[in-house]
Amino acid sequence: MKESIVKIRNMGKAFPTGEGDFWALQNINLDFERGEFSGIVGPSGSGKTTLLNIIGSLDKPSLGDVEVLGQKIQTLNQKKSSILRAKHIGFIFQTYNLLPVYNVYENVEFPLLLLKMDAAKRERMVKDAIEWVGLTDKIKSRPNQLSGGQCQRVAIARAMVKKPDLVLADEPTANLDSENSYKILDTMLKLSEDLGTTFIFSTHDQKVISYLKRIIKLTDGEVSSDDTQTGV
Amino acid sequence: MILRLAFRNIVGNGYRSLINVLILAIVLIIMVWMQAMYHSWTRLALIQQTDWEYGKGLLRSKLYDPYDSYTWEDSAVREPEQLKSAIQGGDLVPILISPASIYPKGRMMPAVLRGIPHDQDVLRLPVSGLKAQGKDIIPVLIGQNMAQSSRLEKGDIFSIRIKDSSGVFNALDAEVSDVIHIPAASADMSSVWLDLEALREVKASESLVTYFVMGDARYADHEYENFRHIPKSEYFADFYEMLATERVQQAITYALLIFLAMIAVFDTQALAVFKRRKEIGTLASLGLTKGKISLLFTLEGIHYLLFAAIAGAILGFPLFWYFAQYGFQIPKGYEDFGIQGFTEPIYFVYPMGEIIGLFLLVLCFTALFSWLPTRKITKLSPVDALRGKVD
Ligand SMILES: Nc1ncnc2c1ncn2[C@@H]1O[C@H](COP(=O)(O)OP(=O)(O)O)[C@@H](O)[C@H]1O
Ligand SMILES: [Mg+2]
Repeated sequence: MKESIVKIRNMGKAFPTGEGDFWALQNINLDFERGEFSGIVGPSGSGKTTLLNIIGSLDKPSLGDVEVLGQKIQTLNQKKSSILRAKHIGFIFQTYNLLPVYNVYENVEFPLLLLKMDAAKRERMVKDAIEWVGLTDKIKSRPNQLSGGQCQRVAIARAMVKKPDLVLADEPTANLDSENSYKILDTMLKLSEDLGTTFIFSTHDQKVISYLKRIIKLTDGEVSSDDTQTGV
Repeated sequence: MILRLAFRNIVGNGYRSLINVLILAIVLIIMVWMQAMYHSWTRLALIQQTDWEYGKGLLRSKLYDPYDSYTWEDSAVREPEQLKSAIQGGDLVPILISPASIYPKGRMMPAVLRGIPHDQDVLRLPVSGLKAQGKDIIPVLIGQNMAQSSRLEKGDIFSIRIKDSSGVFNALDAEVSDVIHIPAASADMSSVWLDLEALREVKASESLVTYFVMGDARYADHEYENFRHIPKSEYFADFYEMLATERVQQAITYALLIFLAMIAVFDTQALAVFKRRKEIGTLASLGLTKGKISLLFTLEGIHYLLFAAIAGAILGFPLFWYFAQYGFQIPKGYEDFGIQGFTEPIYFVYPMGEIIGLFLLVLCFTALFSWLPTRKITKLSPVDALRGKVD
């Protein structure tokens, strides 16, 4: 049996609004296994980002249980959830979110600086990660000297450099043209296979969906279907 | 790691950082300049007052009250036997004070005659010109202030009317042998300096003295029948009091300057926290705690000050050097306040301890005002930060 690294039970998430609570997520029951290449699919406003944020311990559920790598998200304090993210989770955002004052190398190196390791090992890991995304020749470039596709590849390297258990990618292709979208999807799929990393996407982009091994449809904050595709 | 990112953010922020750095640098330069100015002025005033009046200490007749001119006439007492040799040896300079009327150019004005041995070398007063040349006219020295108020000039002859010790009025003629610059105002105003022996003669009061200026501090340790040692704390009490008021003014000025600088720092920081929400969310997603993110922003604020210190040192150096080399001439008009040490240029001496202290003070404020706006980060949820949501 495969190891389940994310377990969500009867989870709901409410946001306070002017007219009472708004339930962005309801009755969520999901498991994600190690090495899965899966995605949460649904229209804008269906609750995809909210779900990813809770799995990533950036937010807490209002109801139910969320366990990520053995840790209960709803009870983690700020410091413990920071450690969980620093060690085990990588994020990829629609808008890349690179540190503008750092060059490619420094951006990729940053997550490793939060973890204790010797400089030589760190340098090797950074260079490896940059090579995975094919940006070795841009190592000294700043984000503003790179194209959107290149920026997203830096963001992938930054998310992958510490070899996390879980990568959460929130609409990673939304700002990219199709050529670049396919490029980064190929890269991520290969990394997932090579390193056994679990990927959870949030998307409504057909290009992404075509790569997914498992598609979880979210409609108005509820799971409306959960299909594992074969032969992709 | 956080330090490096802070540093890079500040450098990366370009001219917006530069404005803050410049404001802080200017504040630092002004503060260093003011501190040096006060320090150097105090130092100069103390040195001058010591050189021209206080020597190594005063032994004053117990009857003499410098604030009450009615005591002056009768406050002189005989030189104590036990001090004779010290007086002879020049270690104690006897000074006799006597109120008198002088008649410069036919007008009458009150004055204070100060008799001092024409061979003393404890005070800087150039007394050699006071030696009588065998004429009936007594040479006297006056300061520039006195010259102005009496309209006497070098070479002028005027008469003096003075009561002798038996109460009989005597008159004598005096010649201004020189008008000198006396930096200690109390040794200048209304004062006419003449040879001690000449004064004693007209007062028919051999061996009378109002106070001694000590050339050696050891005379302070003994008790004398009619004399009292005046310690520095007493002699300079007024001066210290004035310094205390100056300090208050100085503190207010510093407070204003720091306040202005802190507005700039606070504003920049508040804007940074507001504008860089997404970055805050990203850092949180990478696993930085809110404490570390706050620290990052606080360190950025502190960096402004460190850069300002460097910029201030570079920009301020020519200024600081100039005032150390050529001194600072207080504009005319301030002397009217009777403030000491203002008539000649003040050569700046930089009190490093005080300057470092001030810098640390500014550093504390900068740290505080850099940190205050970052408290918002603690209240910000990383999710809202990532959304760039504004509440
Ligand atoms: N902080 C919040 N406060 C109130 N409502 C929110 C908040 N965050 C998200 N929502 C709402 O929750 C719903 C789901 O949002 P989101 O998870 O961002 O959807 P998606 O990523 O699928 O577009 C939306 O209707 C959104 O307006
Ligand atoms: Mg979304």
